Amino acid sequence: MRYTSPRSATPHGRGRRRDFLLLMAGAATWTTSSYAQIRSLPVIGYLCAESPELFASRLKAFHEGLGEAGFVEGRNVTIDYQWANGQYARLPGLAAELASRNVDVVVAPGGAPVALAAKAAGTAKTIVFEMGGDPVQLGVVDSLSRPGGNITGVSSLSVDVSPKRLELMHEFLPTGSKIAVVANPTSPTANSQLKKLRSAAETLGIHLQILNASKEDEFESVFASMIGEPAGGLVFTSDPYFAFRSRRLADLAMKFRVPAITQTRDFPLAGGLMSYGGDFMQSHRRAGVYAGRILLGEKPSDLPVQLVTKLELVINLKAAKFLGYEFSPSVVSGADEVIE
Amino acid sequence: MIAQYRFRGLFQKYLLALFMAVAIPLAINGVIEAWFGYRDQRARLDQLLGVQATSAAAEIHDFIYGITNQLGWLVQLPWTDEPDERRRTDALRLLRQAPAIVSLTLIDNKGLERLHVSRIGLNRIESRTDRSNDPALAGARATQVWFSDISYNRGSEPYLTVAIAGNRLAVGAVIAEVNLKLIWDVISAIKVGKTGIAFVLDRPGRLIAHPDLSLVLRGAEEATSKPFRAVRDAIGPSAGFATIRDAHGHGVAASAAPVQGPDWTVVAEQPLAEAYAPIYAALWRTAMLLAISTIFAGFLAYALAHRMTEPIRLLEEGTERIGAGSFDHRISIQTGDEFERLANSFNRMAAELGLAQQHQERIARLKRFLAPQVADLVERAGDESVLDGRRTNVVVVFCDLRGFTAFSAGVAPEEVMSVLSEYYEILGRVIAQFEATLISFSGDGLMVLVNAPVPVQEPALRAVDLAIEMQKRVQALIADWRSRGYHVGFGVGLASGPATVGRIGYEDRLDYTAIGSVVNLAARLCASAADREILLDAELAAGVDGKRPLEDLGGRRIKGFDEAIPVFGISFIPHQRC
Repeated sequence: MRYTSPRSATPHGRGRRRDFLLLMAGAATWTTSSYAQIRSLPVIGYLCAESPELFASRLKAFHEGLGEAGFVEGRNVTIDYQWANGQYARLPGLAAELASRNVDVVVAPGGAPVALAAKAAGTAKTIVFEMGGDPVQLGVVDSLSRPGGNITGVSSLSVDVSPKRLELMHEFLPTGSKIAVVANPTSPTANSQLKKLRSAAETLGIHLQILNASKEDEFESVFASMIGEPAGGLVFTSDPYFAFRSRRLADLAMKFRVPAITQTRDFPLAGGLMSYGGDFMQSHRRAGVYAGRILLGEKPSDLPVQLVTKLELVINLKAAKFLGYEFSPSVVSGADEVIE
Repeated sequence: MIAQYRFRGLFQKYLLALFMAVAIPLAINGVIEAWFGYRDQRARLDQLLGVQATSAAAEIHDFIYGITNQLGWLVQLPWTDEPDERRRTDALRLLRQAPAIVSLTLIDNKGLERLHVSRIGLNRIESRTDRSNDPALAGARATQVWFSDISYNRGSEPYLTVAIAGNRLAVGAVIAEVNLKLIWDVISAIKVGKTGIAFVLDRPGRLIAHPDLSLVLRGAEEATSKPFRAVRDAIGPSAGFATIRDAHGHGVAASAAPVQGPDWTVVAEQPLAEAYAPIYAALWRTAMLLAISTIFAGFLAYALAHRMTEPIRLLEEGTERIGAGSFDHRISIQTGDEFERLANSFNRMAAELGLAQQHQERIARLKRFLAPQVADLVERAGDESVLDGRRTNVVVVFCDLRGFTAFSAGVAPEEVMSVLSEYYEILGRVIAQFEATLISFSGDGLMVLVNAPVPVQEPALRAVDLAIEMQKRVQALIADWRSRGYHVGFGVGLASGPATVGRIGYEDRLDYTAIGSVVNLAARLCASAADREILLDAELAAGVDGKRPLEDLGGRRIKGFDEAIPVFGISFIPHQRC
């Protein structure tokens, strides 16, 4: 027996209604998703000179800072990354690309070249930088307390403490040794750092040799030049290009058995001798906080440039032993981290 | 309609009065409670903010003294001229442990700089620069612990110089530069209430510490520090908190506490909205309670006013109905108070009015055939049994006008009625005077009964006097009529004897009457009486014999009587008309 329900009497009506509902649902989905993509989430333009792999730890700190201001990528903010993958010359192009896109804030971390490229791109949006150099001296901002314009950020002081690295290397090596400073001639802070280093060398009574390296393949020749110097040491100036190639530098330092000091803890952690510089975790984290505050509507002119308070000395006792030297007890006790 | 209007007015008055009686004390109570609550809350807030400020000051104090304590370890041992590697180790270790310290300078007992370690600048070992003129050293030597004024590194980060001298000259002194930005860790952890904050100002009123570091980094600027200084100045030296607008124009409640040593001020501030939240909550609660109480008072007043005016309305309605004659209407009020008593009074009054009305009606009925005095007498006797049928000796009096039919045919009806009216008026007065009982009218004649229903003394004499008076009065009237050309006469017949008396008729139309031959006799006597004549039967004449001048008229043949009946006449002297 066939049961005829009263509803099945109008199959066309039902079908039509279902189609209509599907259409409505589709329209709703289309509206919300496209709206979300177009406007609902703020966008951070993230300009970076390096690759995501090298920048992973910094990016993590940045995300932490962003989270402190209440933003989580993918949930209430999207990030438009532009990676130069170590080719600093590409930075202006990438910065221009970001400027043309409709981002809410441009974050330029990882050194003065990035900040300068972002500023030069002439974006109307706020730029938050993270660098080791002195932003006033570089002309990025007017003053620390009143940055002026649409730019503010965090400085990690790494550039300022280049002479301290010379001092530490001088203290580490027996007197009379030859100390060479490695600079990146393409770096906007190279000249000011060299000037400070020369002055410090004079104070310390050191004859300074300057070596240049602006490409990875020049590193080996730098280390090779130290062969034959029985007690020679290398002091690397603060430079993002060097900082992000700490592993390579550490490998070369051990290969050529040359004592060396760089700005970042990545170097002793990778087997290098020691490092002295600003805490990049802190600086990237604060850059994240600033980016978040800008997204929340604060004006860049109300956000003074922050200096990173923490300068850290990391030493690797194993490397020292391998090189045949020993740290003085005062250095060991003053070190923030000792790798044994 | 008017009654309704008046009723409503009374209801409104009661409603208003009762409502006020409840609502006004409630309102006063609410206001007083709110006021005291407000004062208590303010006192609590004052205490709370004071404690917060003091505790924040203690934490800032701990921060500074944590540093000075650690610095104190560097000035324990006396100096020698030899370089001291151990002190350098200690100094570097201290830099590691106290991140706020930017640089350290150790000065020996001669005021010479022996060691300078810095996080940024180059270290100086055994520079032996003479620092004896350094105000920090002088200050430390004077007070053991010395704090400089705040300076701003590159116009941004607030720096403080701390100098500590040992307990004796030989151990020298230490001068440290402290980056006060690091207080942020302390100050940002201080929460005043939920959203309140604490900040620190130095003596001139510059911002040293604030949870928003970006403000601290601009503390050197007047524009940044000014609103904070305004808050501090508003609190003043007096105890208690102040309410003021902060840098963003939001109202805040703030209390201050000093930090001993560097002579700073810690201000704990809380947004007014939060600080006064308990006050607002209490006020709101009071207002709600007041509102609910007022509504309750309204209901109560309505119910009471209704309860009070409802009996009045019932009374009013009842009074109206009673007034309209419904004496059987009863007002039903069971309030157990004066209203019930009043209603009962009304009911009693209605009952009495009903009785009185019945009485009135009875009197009126009796008066139709009884003289007013007799009617009253009967009424006073309380029952109408006197009117019951019985057999008794009565005197029946008949009278009528002679020649009236002929007269009435010749004049206008108005004139007939006017004459009759005068005539009956006079007769009525006479009947009433002699307390006789009027039995009936018929045209120009009427029948009167004496000694029934109420027995009288000497009925015969009274009946005769009645007849005489009738004649006298009517004759006077007739004289008047004659002057107008009306020719009528007036005759009276009386007879005495037993008759059956009592009420006859039906419910609404009862008459009192007498039945018996005496009635016929009297009627016949009257019929045979000529003008100016009063005819009596023998029995009656015997009753008045010797008392009134009787005239034996001999036997007369009276219609309806087989034999001639002895008839007597009474002469009278008519009234002289004046």
